[in-house]
Amino acid sequence: MKPTFLLAALLPGLYWDQGAKTVEAVKQAGVERVLVPAGQESAWKAAGIDAHVFHAAKFVKLPSPGVERRMNEAAATSMPWVDANGWRLERDGSHQYYYDVPWRRSALAAAEAYVYGIDAVVHTEPRDLAPFGKMLAFLKSIDQPAMPIMANIAIIDDGSDDTGEVLNLLSRRNLLYQVVTAPDPQYDLNVQIGSQEFPKEEALDPFGFATLVRQKLTDDKRYLRIYGSDVVLGKLNGDGRRLRVHLINYGGGKVDGLRVRVLGGYQHGKLAAFGIANPALADYAQVDGGTEFTIPEMAEYAVVDLEK
Amino acid sequence: MAPVALAASLHEDLPKYRIVTRYEPAAQPGMPGPYSGQVVRVHSEKSIDEQSEKVDVPTIREMISQGMRMLTGDSDARDSWARFFNSADVVGIKVNCSGAPGIMSTPEVVGEIVRNLGVVGLKPNQIWIYERFQNQVNTVHYDRYVPAGVHIWTAEHDRGSIAGYDPNTYVDVNFFGEEDTRSNIARVVTEHLTKIINVPNMKDHGAAGVTGCLKNIAYGSFSNVARSHSGIKTNTYSFVGTLASVEPVRSRTVLGVMDGLRGVWHGGPFSPSRRFRFYPKQMMFGTDPVAMDRLLLDVIDGKRKAEHATSVWDRSMAHIKAGPEYDQNPSIDRYIREPGHIEYAGTLGLGVYDLEKIQVRKIEL
Repeated sequence: MKPTFLLAALLPGLYWDQGAKTVEAVKQAGVERVLVPAGQESAWKAAGIDAHVFHAAKFVKLPSPGVERRMNEAAATSMPWVDANGWRLERDGSHQYYYDVPWRRSALAAAEAYVYGIDAVVHTEPRDLAPFGKMLAFLKSIDQPAMPIMANIAIIDDGSDDTGEVLNLLSRRNLLYQVVTAPDPQYDLNVQIGSQEFPKEEALDPFGFATLVRQKLTDDKRYLRIYGSDVVLGKLNGDGRRLRVHLINYGGGKVDGLRVRVLGGYQHGKLAAFGIANPALADYAQVDGGTEFTIPEMAEYAVVDLEK
Repeated sequence: MAPVALAASLHEDLPKYRIVTRYEPAAQPGMPGPYSGQVVRVHSEKSIDEQSEKVDVPTIREMISQGMRMLTGDSDARDSWARFFNSADVVGIKVNCSGAPGIMSTPEVVGEIVRNLGVVGLKPNQIWIYERFQNQVNTVHYDRYVPAGVHIWTAEHDRGSIAGYDPNTYVDVNFFGEEDTRSNIARVVTEHLTKIINVPNMKDHGAAGVTGCLKNIAYGSFSNVARSHSGIKTNTYSFVGTLASVEPVRSRTVLGVMDGLRGVWHGGPFSPSRRFRFYPKQMMFGTDPVAMDRLLLDVIDGKRKAEHATSVWDRSMAHIKAGPEYDQNPSIDRYIREPGHIEYAGTLGLGVYDLEKIQVRKIEL
């Protein structure tokens, strides 16, 4: 990887196999970091794009983010199953990653890669090039130096599949955690699977285990609560004075009204929402030791910057 | 097990509810209101034709007029309506469209209520017909039965949207480990209305046992309520009354007009087929939702018994079955029903449950 890639490491690249004849479309989309199949790089360079060869073996492939609608017969309601990669990336985000996504998922994949700060490239189909480019432009517009991750829970990871599934369920419930190698008292709750408090057999039911973790943490202590959607997952970065709330919508459509609560009082809040004109927070309030606001509308990704 | 004893045993393990509201109760809350423990029941064979389901509008008008007059003791219906509403009010009519287009708050009934509000001085734009789901209301076309200017408002243009709900007034409760633990009140209730008329139907309900005044005003005015059912368990027992008791719903709901022209005896609150519809051809009037719903229990359970279906009080696991068969077989239950939700609401001060203490006055037209 060349240094120029490292300078733009937080913005995902594009793996593009449509040939150099599409150079104008790529330029128009504003994509700066392009990877192409072996043998095509010279044609791209001749067309004015500093493309590099995509070597699949160097990348860890990530599942396409999104949701599956599964009918929960017992409750007669549709319970979306969120396919999100945050838990994998919290566990180990040190590789180069590759998304191969269907139509209408490239912007979501780019947002996810950005939020978790990974080095990723996205492969998509031609009709998804423009949304991908728009997301890159949006990410550039909101980019700022990263602040520390805010999490309530420390998970001591044994590397097992069971623990991986627990991480997945915690992420899907917006129970914010960090993966650690040893218990750390700075967190509200330390979770070590196999301990007396969190027996290994409990982890065989990841849903139940996530419920157990939530009960032990208590909702009152949670840094983040999201109301009004089962398909929006959040991530927090903060430095004590400022807080950045990342919200990723995996649902595939716009979310019409989302209520967010963060722990602590913040006087000011500013919303940036991908694909939404003139976004603004609504019903902003500081209540019961927290700050709450409504996001009237959001597409794949929104960011709220709060300040005390 | 007898209903009273059953309710007592369920009391012991209720979910922990946290009610968040900035509204204080009125000096005399609308529920149970000035006619606590009183119900007027008006029946007319002419009210609806069972074959065509065509409503006889003059009969409806007379049923409402006589029902209101008997409730209040006035000789002129205008005086009866004026006891509840004046020209300064903004009135919501909480209709029920969950079974539409098969069964819903009958548009002719709603139209007559609107007409009476006009008689006491309300302009059309002071009247809001409201419900939660746009797609259900769209099938009814209330606009054809009321003057131009009457608002027809729904909380959810798109299912699941919370934009139509007040973020500051809600009940927070965790039933089954769901992430979204809030049920917020419809914005129209807190931001526009001074009074509410509750217009439920007479329906069986697979979870609550029946759905009448209490469930219509509760589950019909708050978001995110379906989460109260999971597996065979439903929390309607305590959630219905808890929601109905939240201010300002409790204070502003000043009148109940139960529309029992049509009814549903199985499969409610929906009504996908005619098979389970029936025609009580009656309306009930009152301010006490518990008393009215207590009478409704006997209407629905009586009809189910006549049809050899399971009782709404049945708690046998032998009759519980998941899947679509419930929609066709009235001897199958989806949940363990909780008709005790009415008695529970009585314990919250919403009305009188004991039949011996309920005064029922009947009119036959």
